[in-house]
Amino acid sequence: MGTKIEMVSVAEPWFNFLPRNSIELTARVARKCINEARINVNDLGLLINTGIYRYKNFGEPAIAALIQKKIGANTNNDTESNRPGKTFSFDLNNGGCGWLTGIQILQELMISKKINYGMVVTGDAEPFYGLSENFNFKTAAAAIILSRSKDSEGFTQFKTYSYPDHPEELTSSINYNYQRQKSKRKNILYVRQKDTYPDLCAMYACESLNSFMDESGLKIKDIDLIIPSQSPDGWIRKVKKIIGSNDKFIEYQKNGKKMLHTAGPAFALKQVWSDNRFKSSKHIIFLTVGSGINVSVAHYFNQN
Amino acid sequence: MDWKCQIESIGAKLPEKKISTIELVAKLNIPCIKKFGLLTGIKERKVCSAGEDSFSLATDAVNDCLSFSKYRAEDIDMIINCSITKYKGGLSHHFEPTFAALIKNAIGAKNAVTFDISNACAGMMTGVYLAENFIRQGMIKTCLIVSGEYISSISDHALRNIRTSLSKELSSLTLGDCGAAAILERSENNNGLIVSGFTTLSKYSGLCTARQNRKTPGGFMKAKAKKIHQAAISESIPIVHNALKKSGLSFNQISWLIPHQTSRSSIVSGANFYVEHFGQKPKQVLINLKDTGNTASTTHFLALYKYLNEKRFRDGDNIMLLCFASGLIIGVVIFKMNEIVCRYGNKN
Repeated sequence: MGTKIEMVSVAEPWFNFLPRNSIELTARVARKCINEARINVNDLGLLINTGIYRYKNFGEPAIAALIQKKIGANTNNDTESNRPGKTFSFDLNNGGCGWLTGIQILQELMISKKINYGMVVTGDAEPFYGLSENFNFKTAAAAIILSRSKDSEGFTQFKTYSYPDHPEELTSSINYNYQRQKSKRKNILYVRQKDTYPDLCAMYACESLNSFMDESGLKIKDIDLIIPSQSPDGWIRKVKKIIGSNDKFIEYQKNGKKMLHTAGPAFALKQVWSDNRFKSSKHIIFLTVGSGINVSVAHYFNQN
Repeated sequence: MDWKCQIESIGAKLPEKKISTIELVAKLNIPCIKKFGLLTGIKERKVCSAGEDSFSLATDAVNDCLSFSKYRAEDIDMIINCSITKYKGGLSHHFEPTFAALIKNAIGAKNAVTFDISNACAGMMTGVYLAENFIRQGMIKTCLIVSGEYISSISDHALRNIRTSLSKELSSLTLGDCGAAAILERSENNNGLIVSGFTTLSKYSGLCTARQNRKTPGGFMKAKAKKIHQAAISESIPIVHNALKKSGLSFNQISWLIPHQTSRSSIVSGANFYVEHFGQKPKQVLINLKDTGNTASTTHFLALYKYLNEKRFRDGDNIMLLCFASGLIIGVVIFKMNEIVCRYGNKN
């Protein structure tokens, strides 16, 4: 029994000068995903938000709860049958690997038959517009709906590899910018990425992928598609060079200088989902990298 | 194979510095707030001093937890950080890498997979829900759930803004700082975690919100405390009922009911509502507010830690942890006290 993808949807702001609200954007993509998947929103058992940079840096409630309300998924207890509301939601942060970690949690809960459908949403935007330094992440959001499959189709294996010697390669925090003049004092989001980060991501991703292949008994030549993270800039090119299978890696065409962060792998997936390459492929690898440095790898099997 | 899961050890860390409710409300010039301490049952709360923050509280709590545990840091398979506040280096809110990854490095848990979750005051309980599932599936053997809450900074904002006793920021004055950690492990016997059930009733998600300040350090919280309390109590009945049914226990077989620690008056009125509804009452309702206040996501584990150290629990006691958090999240965890009591010096 596996966990299969029902639908993936992505969204960017309609106008560059308008919505920078990560919550609205994520809710929009979640609604779109439900409509495209043609499922009943009340069938969602779990909703996980894996976005990191959130509108006004909301601490509570979880952004997932706000999105649950906006899409109208079991917002209340079932008063007729006197049963508890069926949807549980929370936020998860695991950097660039968060989206895949969210999917793994859904898979675990589906195997234990606690839920039949689950959704992982993610969205990043500058928390306070204009109050950041080196925030090179594009405002974008994505949603994916998974369901329990009766056969072997779907995600078969997940593995996360940690390389904790490099916690300083990518860091971000909101710090208080103390100024003499009171009106100029503000909280600023600082993102710091070292030049060596893409190289290290590529190196460790290759190492992790090789270990994953050995553990799962797969060979790189059996893999039809590799769906990677879309940040940091340049890491996909480097990893392609090491592995040498250029055509298998899905790279989302960048529009401008900013990178896709937690929604990156979903945008790559959407690209091959739309042109049917995903459904016509048998073995698909999801390869995500994130600060820490963490590498998460998952295998998806399609029964063609 | 479906494994069982149990809480193996619990640790906590409270800052040394105290602020009494009398001191706090004296800063407000509102007469009816003078009874705040009486209503909430909070005499004082612990607050961070210079050099302390969410991260230091979390790591200290983990080290305390490990001191009671049979496991070493390198035996931990997974670390889930569950705090709302992620302050490191004063009031700097940290995003990346995750807090869990930093804690892993700090304690030397080199084999652990890490991630952070955020689910308001239900954070640690959500961690239990996830860890239980990973352990039952056989994916991991041990999971460390940790949270460090440097949340008292919210009360500074409240003190500047409260004008009347009806202020939405009044509940910010109940908050205190704390770190808590728990190790969950795979178990081969039936003693341990019996059931966990959670739901988010997002209809009420606007009743309590907290976010970052734009121009001053820290954040602020606004809550319609009475409304959220009424909704939480009335809406929790089906969840508690369901959990009791799954566990095969009746309400009067619960030895200790440990609700989310907000204020004495709301806990007492909630317990009375349950007694009226179920026609039965648990043997004890635990209130742990007097010296620590509401410590957000850590309240349940801080209460468990305190009562374990005071040797108040007995082997075989049925414990019900009941969480209410903004969202509105309602969650129930029922477990049986087991040999963990011996680890805290209780020989009975």
